Amino acid sequence: MATIAPLRDNTIEREAQAWMNDPYEHFCHHNSRIHSLPREEVEAVQLAAMQLRFAERMDQVQMLKKLADGQGITAIGSFNDLAPLLMPHDVYKSYPVSLLAKQQFGKLNQWLGKLTRHDPTGVDVSECDSIDSWLTRIRDATLLDVGASSGSSGTMSFYPKSKRDYFLSMWGLRVQLAQKFGEDPRPGDIHDKIHAIIPLYRDGHASMGAFGKYSCQAFALGDPAFWHYCFDMKLSSDLMWLAARLRAAAAKGDASKVDVPASLLARRGEWEAQQANMGDQQLEFVNKMIRELSGKRVFVMSTSNLLYAAAKRGLEEGLSGVFAPDSVFMGGGGAKGVPLPDDLEEVICKFFNTKRMIASYGMTEMNSFSVLCDHDRYHLPPWVTPWLLDLETGQPLPRSGRQTGRAAFFDMTAESCWGGLVTGDLVTIDWDHQCECGRTSVAIEKQIQRVSEAQGGDDKITCAATPGAQAEAMEFLTGFGS
Amino acid sequence: MMAKQPISYAVLRGEVIESDLIEFGGRGGDITFLAPDPHKIIDRIPLASPRLMEDMYELSTDQILDYLSELGERLRLDKNPYLHDALEYSYATAPTTKPIMDSFFHDLPFMFDKQRIRKMVDFNIGIDYLEGWVEQQLNGCTVGIRAYGSRQLHIVAGNGPVLGALTVIRGAVTRGDMIIKVPSNDPFTTGAIARTMVDMAPDHPVTKHLAVAYWRGGDEALESRIYQPHNIEKICAWGGFASVRHVTKYIQPGIELISLDPKRSASIVGPEALESEAAMIDVGRRLAADFATGNQVACSASRLVYVMCGTDDEAIEKLKQLGQKTYDAMLALPDVISTKPKHYDRELKSQVDMLRLSDDFYTVIGGQDDEGAILISHTSDRVDFWEYLVDRTINIIPVDTLEEVLDVIDAYTQTVGVWPENLWDVVRHKGALHGGQRFVELGYGFNGAGLVGPQDGIEPMRRIVKWIVSEKPGPDKVPLWGESAASVKMLA
Repeated sequence: MATIAPLRDNTIEREAQAWMNDPYEHFCHHNSRIHSLPREEVEAVQLAAMQLRFAERMDQVQMLKKLADGQGITAIGSFNDLAPLLMPHDVYKSYPVSLLAKQQFGKLNQWLGKLTRHDPTGVDVSECDSIDSWLTRIRDATLLDVGASSGSSGTMSFYPKSKRDYFLSMWGLRVQLAQKFGEDPRPGDIHDKIHAIIPLYRDGHASMGAFGKYSCQAFALGDPAFWHYCFDMKLSSDLMWLAARLRAAAAKGDASKVDVPASLLARRGEWEAQQANMGDQQLEFVNKMIRELSGKRVFVMSTSNLLYAAAKRGLEEGLSGVFAPDSVFMGGGGAKGVPLPDDLEEVICKFFNTKRMIASYGMTEMNSFSVLCDHDRYHLPPWVTPWLLDLETGQPLPRSGRQTGRAAFFDMTAESCWGGLVTGDLVTIDWDHQCECGRTSVAIEKQIQRVSEAQGGDDKITCAATPGAQAEAMEFLTGFGS
Repeated sequence: MMAKQPISYAVLRGEVIESDLIEFGGRGGDITFLAPDPHKIIDRIPLASPRLMEDMYELSTDQILDYLSELGERLRLDKNPYLHDALEYSYATAPTTKPIMDSFFHDLPFMFDKQRIRKMVDFNIGIDYLEGWVEQQLNGCTVGIRAYGSRQLHIVAGNGPVLGALTVIRGAVTRGDMIIKVPSNDPFTTGAIARTMVDMAPDHPVTKHLAVAYWRGGDEALESRIYQPHNIEKICAWGGFASVRHVTKYIQPGIELISLDPKRSASIVGPEALESEAAMIDVGRRLAADFATGNQVACSASRLVYVMCGTDDEAIEKLKQLGQKTYDAMLALPDVISTKPKHYDRELKSQVDMLRLSDDFYTVIGGQDDEGAILISHTSDRVDFWEYLVDRTINIIPVDTLEEVLDVIDAYTQTVGVWPENLWDVVRHKGALHGGQRFVELGYGFNGAGLVGPQDGIEPMRRIVKWIVSEKPGPDKVPLWGESAASVKMLA
């Protein structure tokens, strides 16, 4: 451990406070400025922010305190000092799953309370009889809006993020997407209502259900007339969990061993009914938007395949350039194993009259999205510190040269949780490369793999069972942004 | 100049091939090795014609056993430079550590003991069935059954160096023709055994009916040519979802897949284990022997331990004591049986460290020094990452009823260790219905009949042979012609 005392430089500390609390406001929502800071300055502010956050969150987030105490870490003197305090993403599903099956939401509240500073344990959840009712109760009574996502093994992770976190996340997208890098923002980029077209749900606790609502805040400035969603319903986390449990049980060879409450099992048909024709309804929705919002500035967040299908049909009908030219199209996701068409980008750009389909990298456990630049790099906002960890040792790789490793991040803007995270993604950063796009911010190369996939296929044969790389159909549902 | 790169020799039907070497391996920091370009030798890998099986039938079982016995003599590490090199190189590729590998290689000759193999053959197949036709009278006929050797391809696992040797033995005694595709985690051992066979008796039928080679599993251009019914009749694939999955696309009429599916193993322990200090020590030792032997790389190594003690606070406190005793017993195992793991899995380490933070729900004993860890659940939940338990890491789970345990025994379950005796009958019976394949007294998972026994329920020895039937009518059999033909009952 380094023993250097933190620098008592108030200027840097004040700067760090501003970045932590309201970074976009601090930079006047100016995307070009955000991505044009000198590296040394950024790193000095990041280190100061780590020190401030660490001191603050040690008393607020019990799980962080336990982690730090266990390793005898009492202060942060360098980036590498913080590395052991980055939490694996699995920590957000580290509760025994029987608590969900037995609907012990009080105990789940206690568990959740150790991961956030907005402790929900005071909220009476004794009446809750489902995941949806539990998470809604917390949302109504606290500053939290817990993000729930369901994995292929039948577990569900709960990330206790705050409403403020969600808003920052969406506002960050608006700032980074609406402006052209290298230019000053036009007033409309920040102050106008922009139509948000999100072919997803009105509400829900998974990102698919929450994106719409917060896009309404960030893009439509809260005006429901500028918010367009496809499914006028709440995406049920209970049903998503049920679907995952059913699949996990079937994969084990006994579909009858599904450990969920009987009341939930009875809703089995509901999910399937909702999933049927989902694609057709989304396509119809996008086509309706094309008719109704022609000529308007829009923000579209969708899967690439859906945009492609709508664009292909539109071109066949002789249409093109239907929305205002400064509209933004963010594609992404897509089920693994479903190949994207070769002419995807060409068709979408031609029909929607846009130069580029935007892609971004982000996750529920982080506020900040990183947007792909014209030179195929995801640029991190300066308030996010990345580490690349050696796959074998888990130790941070040098912050110089071109390195590939497991991505870990500290997002100082995390308002509820600790903000330090180890992901399951294998990424590459060239630390010394000044990106041709002009941004000085640290950038991740476009090719991002799951660590589990990268490690498979080595022709080592063993008789002991381990799960193969997880082909996640659910990833289609939750995989926006990467 | 780097040190000499190790070679995975191809040994094809009495001939050692070391030409056209190309590089393989090297993924994830592993060493690279050289092997003959498989595309250059592909035509010599399969047996040219089934007619060439005839020479195996000029041998008696005793002659085959003599051959194997002599081979065993020559597989003494101190006398065999091929094995010596294979061992040296295998330290880098094997999932286990030097003391364990040394012990495996040291014990290799004992696998070829004549009486041991004879007993294995008789137990699993019956020597009479291999030596000739075993005839019985049935339905007015003399029905003969005989086990014939097949032309077989083995995709062997590499987590234990004995598996290649075992395959050679099984193939020889069943008079099979063997192609062994060696794995990248054990690319040297089987080749060393085959080279010893070539030195010993290059023209002997058993030597002639063995082809050992490395190619990258999934090499479609190669595999689609070899995996044809005119070349092979049986494919015996060990483990690895990926390896089994890509083999299945070659399965067609004429090729049978014997899939030794990837498995995992568990232990079921009664509440008696927590009744006294002495019981805890005893059960802790038994548990350690069942999970830590060979550093938990085998499918038969226990990973989940269910204790039927209930989940109240007092039970959990005692369970922690049992966990500590188990941990102590693990550390006390001799080096040749178990050591600190070679590389503790990083992913697992991170999960274990995280579990340490959830001390309301779990207690973690050990694991700070990558030596292995005991994870104790406080509820009846197994840890979320239970499928990834490896490197001497087990999860001890308290349950109220046997039914809860049976719920987690499934088609992936191989060995179930049981203690005490009063659980034996019910666990064995109900566990079998749920998918469990092998039931052993707790502590004897690695110390029982072993691989010369029936292994698990898959019966690989009975399945690598072809069971052939002959029928002749007895004197009273009525033909389907002539005056009495109409009165014959045509029963299926």
